[in-house]
Amino acid sequence: MFELMRWPRSTWSVFDELEALQEDANRAFSGYGRRGRSWRRRGSYPLLNVWSSKEGVVLDAEMPGVDPKDVDISVMGDELTLRGRVNTAEPAEGETVHRRERPSGEFVRRLQLPFRADASGVKANYRNGVLRVSVPRSEEEKPKRIAIEAS
Amino acid sequence: MTDTKVTKVEEDSVQTVRGPENDTTYLPDVDIREDDGSIRVFADMPGVDQNTVSVTVEKNVLTVEGEARVDTPEGYRLVGQEYGVGRYRRDFTLSDAVDPDGIKARVRHGVLELTLPKREHVKTRKVEIEA
Repeated sequence: MFELMRWPRSTWSVFDELEALQEDANRAFSGYGRRGRSWRRRGSYPLLNVWSSKEGVVLDAEMPGVDPKDVDISVMGDELTLRGRVNTAEPAEGETVHRRERPSGEFVRRLQLPFRADASGVKANYRNGVLRVSVPRSEEEKPKRIAIEAS
Repeated sequence: MTDTKVTKVEEDSVQTVRGPENDTTYLPDVDIREDDGSIRVFADMPGVDQNTVSVTVEKNVLTVEGEARVDTPEGYRLVGQEYGVGRYRRDFTLSDAVDPDGIKARVRHGVLELTLPKREHVKTRKVEIEA
């Protein structure tokens, strides 16, 4: 398990801390049943998978059926925020809704990174319902090799 | 005007299943809506495209399957995981109201959208009242 020690902060666990700052937009996500994806049990949307390297962080967010125009990605310092709306279209006139399991509403998800990001280098793409965001470390925060001078 | 109550798509439950190769099968979340002419099913299957989805009907069971793929970023290490990537599958029992030959499917942004047309005789028909 990858852990990053940062003084005075404690070990960085990807989904730590900022869960408490989640806005309560998750109330909009109602649903029944015990089946389906764990976003409902977890209470956070979208679900994330995160990779890390000395270059920075790459995260995948599962957001099927979202219009990329409805998603806002912002990076400030060491914080990444995903904000947007999903499945907010009203049913059409004359349409009956029989089952509604998919998430719907507005969401905000914040992730604390173990480094300050180079905001200008953030890239994102949305493919097959997965948003991939890559966040590079700011130059000063990249590990540097220290040459040992011969004495 | 009588409104014919149509029993729609009912689903057989498939819980999270471990296949023989020990990869996980997930049950996709669905929304089901009905209007006068058809029933529409929207199934969330992030990571799939039209090449990795299959929709089959056998007798009156509609089966939706998909396989998600992920490109692991090279040179990176997984440090947090909230969701698994694998297969999707969900079965539905179709009532006689649906005409299985007319089913249309499309995949967009990881959502499979099915349109199940209703047979002519079950569509609500307005009855003209003669003077």
